[in-house]
Amino acid sequence: MQIKINNKSYPADEGETILSVCKRNGIRIPTLCAHPDLLPSEGVCRMCLVETNQSKGLVPSCAQKVCEGLEVQTETENVNRARKINLELLWADHAGKCASCKRNGRCELQNLAQIFDIEAFKFTPRRKELKSRDELDLLKDNWSHVAVDEKNSCISRDSEYCIECRRCIRVCRDIQTVEAYGFNYRSSRTNVGTPHEIPLDCIFCGQCSAVCPTAAITEKDETAKFEKALADPGKMVIVQTAPSVRFTFSEEFGEKPGTFWEGKLVASLKELGCDKVFDTVLGADLTIIEEANELIRRVKKGGKLPMFTSCCPSWVLYVEKYYPEFIPNLSTCKSPQQMLAPLIKTYYANKEKINPENIVSVSIMPCTSKKYEAERKEMKASGCQDVDIVLTIRELARLVRKNKINPSKLKDKKFDPALGISTGAGVIFGASGGVMEAALRTAVETISGAELAKLDFEVVRGEEGIRCAEIEIENMKLRVAVAHEIRNAKKILEDLKAGKVHYDFIEVMACPNGCIGGGGQPVPTSPAIRKARIESVMSRDRGMPLRKSHENPLVKKIYKEFLGKPGGEKAEEMLHTKYINRKKK
Amino acid sequence: MQIITKNWDKIDPFRIEDYIQAGGYASLRKSIREMDREDVILQIKESGLRGRGGAGFPTGEKWEYSAKTNSDAKYMICNLDESEPGVYKDRIIAEKNPHQIIEGLLIGAYAIGAKKAYIYLNGHYREAAEILKIALDQARDKEFVGKGIMGSAVDVDVEIFQGAGAYICGEETALINTIEGKRGEPKLKPPFPPVCGLFGKPTIVNNAETLANVAYIIKRSAKTFSQIGPNSSPGTKLFLLEGAVKNKGVVEAPLGTTAEELIFNSLYGGGMVSGKEFWFAQIGGASGRLMPRGKLDQTLTYGNCEYPIGAGSILVVDKMADIKDFLYSWAGFFHRESCGKCVPCREGTFRLWEIAKRMKNNDLREKDRENIKDILWTLSNTTFCPLGNFAATAWSDAVKMFEKEIFPNTNKTNNDTN
Repeated sequence: MQIKINNKSYPADEGETILSVCKRNGIRIPTLCAHPDLLPSEGVCRMCLVETNQSKGLVPSCAQKVCEGLEVQTETENVNRARKINLELLWADHAGKCASCKRNGRCELQNLAQIFDIEAFKFTPRRKELKSRDELDLLKDNWSHVAVDEKNSCISRDSEYCIECRRCIRVCRDIQTVEAYGFNYRSSRTNVGTPHEIPLDCIFCGQCSAVCPTAAITEKDETAKFEKALADPGKMVIVQTAPSVRFTFSEEFGEKPGTFWEGKLVASLKELGCDKVFDTVLGADLTIIEEANELIRRVKKGGKLPMFTSCCPSWVLYVEKYYPEFIPNLSTCKSPQQMLAPLIKTYYANKEKINPENIVSVSIMPCTSKKYEAERKEMKASGCQDVDIVLTIRELARLVRKNKINPSKLKDKKFDPALGISTGAGVIFGASGGVMEAALRTAVETISGAELAKLDFEVVRGEEGIRCAEIEIENMKLRVAVAHEIRNAKKILEDLKAGKVHYDFIEVMACPNGCIGGGGQPVPTSPAIRKARIESVMSRDRGMPLRKSHENPLVKKIYKEFLGKPGGEKAEEMLHTKYINRKKK
Repeated sequence: MQIITKNWDKIDPFRIEDYIQAGGYASLRKSIREMDREDVILQIKESGLRGRGGAGFPTGEKWEYSAKTNSDAKYMICNLDESEPGVYKDRIIAEKNPHQIIEGLLIGAYAIGAKKAYIYLNGHYREAAEILKIALDQARDKEFVGKGIMGSAVDVDVEIFQGAGAYICGEETALINTIEGKRGEPKLKPPFPPVCGLFGKPTIVNNAETLANVAYIIKRSAKTFSQIGPNSSPGTKLFLLEGAVKNKGVVEAPLGTTAEELIFNSLYGGGMVSGKEFWFAQIGGASGRLMPRGKLDQTLTYGNCEYPIGAGSILVVDKMADIKDFLYSWAGFFHRESCGKCVPCREGTFRLWEIAKRMKNNDLREKDRENIKDILWTLSNTTFCPLGNFAATAWSDAVKMFEKEIFPNTNKTNNDTN
């Protein structure tokens, strides 16, 4: 159908909202509560109001569906008045500490405040930042409840910055089914928080921090710790970077989604003063060797099936907290981060004759949950904590900007070769379905003993929440499933429990589309942005000379020199872990 | 003309026998035994009965939406959450004649095909809750409620659901949310509750006074009812007379009566309290408009009229009163009762209350005049649900009508700053 927006005709689909038509055609409408991952919109921020010929008053364009004969006006006097007043009301309820804010320059509220020219407070600010005596007197019963929660290692919350847009509530409830957040209190004291304001106790996927328009929910900042390590001449700072980081780091510096910046990422880290930069993709290759081996063992020897991947710490935590009966199904393999880290402090340290105590092991991750994973008590294969600091991409980018480094101007650098050779199989770990595909490349060749004619397992790729396939190897049929977002994983778990489905191997990533949609990725995120990131990942895999983990010469060398056999005693000690039932009684 | 108040104080609310003796539950029997569901809805439609909660939506039409929607479950809800300052008519009905509400609810449930009905009661109504509970037990004993009503194949179970006393929960989607165990806040419409309501099923939410009219219509026919009052909104209405009027309390009058009659006629208000002079009247509760002397001849009906009746309260204010006290009270009420979901209402009602406090202390600043204008505008035009509009109605009128009283010092302040 055709609808008219500002007197011009545009095509629109049945069931589409006015906002979606406007966005597609570049007609700007300010929004704060609407998010492309959270549909249908709730229409609570009242910023996207427009006038139409179908109703008397203003209507929220994010919720109003198009209809035949619709005429929309997006820039009338009333529309602009509504935007301006409501924005001013919100702004006065906001912390207004832009200069020191983590999201400075990347804040949706700040952007709108600039566009609409909100500078002087028309209303008395309600949150902490009050300077004049006059206003302090007013604050007496003008308080706004501020909740601060820093009690976990992944996510910081400070409701001083919160604009009650409810995106975090919805992503946690609708996408992850964890329901950690809700509204507390009423009227002007309304506040996003946990039930009874207990410290956040969730799976730390960080999706709330990825959709938050302001800095109310952010990654726990560890940049200071990192800076301290860099400044300490007695410490050797060794960094590893996750597979997906090289595809999204560029977005923090204004590049378009999907821009591949591996060389610039390494160069930026070196510029910051890191001594060595290693590649987590090598850890991913190790994961594949171990995981494929474990799968074959379980299938052949009648072990617990289906086997679940265990690379995603939020997924592991979800099973431990909500479905502990499935703990035996989790692969005992550590994640790539936790496989590479002990090697740095043992294998590499031995070789280079470095005291592991002087190594500060840092990983750059697309994930908030990795901060928690690094702190797990089991993660001490090297004798001390294997990973010391985990930074999300956002934190790294902040630090790079703070040090006035412009990555786009830097000359590309390569990973340090000691632990820096990797394959396409490890690279695709960044996208949902990647671990499955990488494992299949190795498992099929290991079982059949013959070389695969075609390396691309397209059946496990894609954007659907759950993807299933049957892979034939010799005389055996391997039933596999891939899920991303916890709501889909939960569905699989429930179906397994009810005996409705039967699988041998299941990959789960907690975040939308896997790590490239991770909670520590650059903001904003949307299906279109993630699609561009995935395309970049897949094209990188296609272009790599080595695309199978078991063909990685460095992997072979490490097994020969240090780990022994896959699944062997040393490998077990270094690369495998165990899980704990954390279900609340 | 008495429909609702007819048996008040004549029957004992604790004795169902009294109600039956006065002809009670005959309409329920007639509906179930002699009428199809469609007939019942047709009668209600033809009677012209409109919702008495404030919006005045035609009741029969509403029922029809649900009746026509195919679903394995449907719900009928009596909205007895009234919590607007000065409005207590539903409580009085429940306390004086609870079966009148229950009978209407049961007829409605039968008409739309609901097997489950709720009485959603304001959490503060402890006494009414007791009375309704006893009435329900008695009705259950007499087989008016439960499985196989009066030997028929009709099942309707009735449950009393007591809210927590929030004003917003009188809004039907918020009310439905709380029965579902969710936060009391309105939902986006569409879908509308008659099609997709409680637990996603067709749900009718009717005000208690609306339901109290149903038995009369079934008994006396739609035509009799439609001949009372004006054509567009027939029937009688409970009015609550408050403030500087001689006879305070609930009165029943045909719709279409003027405010002047209600206040000054000896049948109703009986005029002003001696020694007090009429200033203005607020029609419909805290969310109602302010009616000046010159508009007293306006008839009060549902549908398009300048002064909506809302829930039916008429607050008479005399010239001794201070408008600032009223503004402070209204702003405080709506600030407390905003659910916090949308920006203009959450922040706007708060700012209005903040300004009202300053106004009460004669400490208005120059910028406040502009801010009041902006806040009232955004409340009237941009909020998620009507609560925001309600918060601005009386204020908007007051700012227009009593500018001198509200901003006495503005000129002086201007001079000071110069």
